[in-house]
Amino acid sequence: MYQSAHFSEYNAISGVWDEMYNENHNIREHYQRVISYLSKESADNLNKKEELARRLFMTQGITFTVYNSGEGIEKIFPFDIIPRIITGNEWKLVEKGIKQRLTALNLFLRDVYHDQFIIKDGIIPIDVIYSCPHFLREMYQLDVPHDIYVHIAGIDLIRDEKGDFYVLEDNLRTPSGVSYMLENREITKRLFPDLLPQCNVRSVTDYPNILYKNLMALSPRQISNPTVVLLSPGIYNSAYFEHTTLARLMGVELVEGRDLVVSNHKVYMKTTTGLQQVDVIYRRVDDEFLDPLVFNPASVLGVAGIMSAYRKGNVAIVNAIGNGVADDKAIYSYVPEMIRYYLNEEPLLKNVPTYQLRNADEREYTFANINTMVVKKTNESGGYGMLMGHAANEQEIADYKKEILKDPRNFIAQPTISLSAAPCYLQGSLQPRRIDLRPYALCGPDGIEIVPGGLTRVALKEGSLVVNSSQGGGSKDTWVLD
Amino acid sequence: MPEFKIQHITRYTYEGMVRDSANQVILFPIVDVHQDVLKHTLTITGNPVVDTYVDYYGNEVGSFTYLEKHSRLVINSEVLVVTKPRELPADAMPASEQWQKLQALQYIVPYIDFLKHEYFEALPELQTVIEQQKQDNETPYQTALRLCEYVYRNFKYLPGVTTVETTLTEVWNLKAGVCQDFAHILILMLRLLNIPARYVSGYICPNRNGMRGEGATHAWAEVYLPDYGWLGIDPTNNCVANETHVRLAVGRNFSDCSPVKGVYKGSSGHMLEVKVSVEYQDQPSNSNESTSILPGNSFVQAAESEVFTTNSYRRYREALLLQQQQQQQQ
Repeated sequence: MYQSAHFSEYNAISGVWDEMYNENHNIREHYQRVISYLSKESADNLNKKEELARRLFMTQGITFTVYNSGEGIEKIFPFDIIPRIITGNEWKLVEKGIKQRLTALNLFLRDVYHDQFIIKDGIIPIDVIYSCPHFLREMYQLDVPHDIYVHIAGIDLIRDEKGDFYVLEDNLRTPSGVSYMLENREITKRLFPDLLPQCNVRSVTDYPNILYKNLMALSPRQISNPTVVLLSPGIYNSAYFEHTTLARLMGVELVEGRDLVVSNHKVYMKTTTGLQQVDVIYRRVDDEFLDPLVFNPASVLGVAGIMSAYRKGNVAIVNAIGNGVADDKAIYSYVPEMIRYYLNEEPLLKNVPTYQLRNADEREYTFANINTMVVKKTNESGGYGMLMGHAANEQEIADYKKEILKDPRNFIAQPTISLSAAPCYLQGSLQPRRIDLRPYALCGPDGIEIVPGGLTRVALKEGSLVVNSSQGGGSKDTWVLD
Repeated sequence: MPEFKIQHITRYTYEGMVRDSANQVILFPIVDVHQDVLKHTLTITGNPVVDTYVDYYGNEVGSFTYLEKHSRLVINSEVLVVTKPRELPADAMPASEQWQKLQALQYIVPYIDFLKHEYFEALPELQTVIEQQKQDNETPYQTALRLCEYVYRNFKYLPGVTTVETTLTEVWNLKAGVCQDFAHILILMLRLLNIPARYVSGYICPNRNGMRGEGATHAWAEVYLPDYGWLGIDPTNNCVANETHVRLAVGRNFSDCSPVKGVYKGSSGHMLEVKVSVEYQDQPSNSNESTSILPGNSFVQAAESEVFTTNSYRRYREALLLQQQQQQQQ
């Protein structure tokens, strides 16, 4: 096969699963069509496409915000023009595995807020649950429509050096990034219009429709046109772009807390023609801030009294309140047990081995092996508050240990997993960079649907293993082939 | 069987007109074998619909909203309650066995919540006190009474020096406070000794004058004793809480039980008056009444504390900016 200069230089990282090259340094079948297509393009042309992509992101305002020392900086999410490709067979496993996991997590949330069988049977230690700040006693015995708690999930997957998929974390509260999945596809269509149909890439554009269908189905009022709103914290939030995008694609109102009011245990939206009852709220505001009457009284983002409307079933809230107890990183290690317990099945997707630092022996083991570990806070996301043992210096490690000892419950440790690598077009040549995958699963009364694809995040810095956008990561269009 | 007619009035008076008021009330006396409600009327400005539910701790909780502009909000709760004295614990089981039984409750619902202590700066100091106070071979019941007396003797009952926002550490350093502070300190001490302890809010209805906590809502603690169950002890009056104590709610601490709380939109300044009066069945004419004005027992959405009153607009904007950024987008 003909390969232009900029493609022959690719050097796969040894000991790492490469999405494009197999162990014999041959291009895997599912990458061949794309690579042969791209090889025919001149470097100049590819540079132009890269520039075009950058401009499209800029002009469309596809941004996110990074917070550092209290200041927000709006950034373009770096986009790599080479798609990440997943075969139909790989996807089947991912899809089945996520459906299984999410089914169990939903059952867990229903159980933990009602009968607590899983605690009584000793599968999950009670103190792990009762010490979780997101285990909300306000949700106890509160029935949610169709017993669905996680309507939208972003399950982070990584691949180890053998190519096996692992779940890195479950995001069950306000998973973000799906707008980048949609925008990345739109950009790819602009850059390589004929490539997508040639390669039989499955479409992701159904996502807003499925979400909208599910939201409508949750309406407590049996009417033909229930009012669905997207509740955003506001323009200063890192994911505000996403909130506007999803509201626009679904054709629902984008509101903030001050636009809503509760009267007689029903939620209303203030409109120019008076109050309009709201049936379903897709909220991107944290639990703690949702109702100043019940939770944080200082919240200016929430709606006072919304909890009573929710409890009475007069409004549906998506995702459900109190989901944080299921995606707490200390609970994460019990998910395989949950799957066995509730479903009587073996987990299809593996968990990364996790050490609970609240247990003295696991803490000592972690401290002794800290150079090969990643230590994380149990309730943070976005790569904040994390220690990468192999990259940290003595002082950083000592400081972090002190933090851990203050409240060991809030920390877990995992062995550093060597993430798989995929080719990226960087400075005119193809270079391997580490990636993960976040598919978005939607759970409605009809079951769980996952659009074939997701957000592939990439650690653009050479040698880096951190893919979070807040930590200098970028993203790729993610193709699932038929 | 004493019968009490209790009137509990909560009156908010605002500087200007306010709107979109949302409130939560925990004013429904517990009904069980020791206490029965014969009659309860709740009258609220604007006659909003009060919806009630039973919370995690078994308390009846009501909530309502009042959207129209208003300059005052009055919540008037009138209850006719009958209480039955309960027998005190026989305390016959050997002490060591009782402590063992308590140890076993550590990982059991609901006790787990009533054994967890909040962060407390003066913990080492407190632990020394507990060590000193605790006698060998004492039963949990005896220990509880001893600690109750310790709080009663070592803390000054001084209304006005603390608010609902005063931390436990501050109370400890002040060595003074009101019933709710006394209860919190006692609860902390009990939990450190592995005796499940919970917070109780209610009314004190002594048939004689001179008990602390009259004229306002009262608070005390309940301890869980093996082979007995929950027993109320009142560190403010150094006594077992029996038929003279009417229970409204139980929880981990004050915020689980706060009798009335609310948020509203509008001007910052407001005055809160709480008045509790008790009429006794055997002396109906001799009503025991007093008024107390409490510092802000409510939370204001727009602006409140003195530090910020200078520019509530700017304060609101700052909160908005900060909180919008804080929201986790996972």
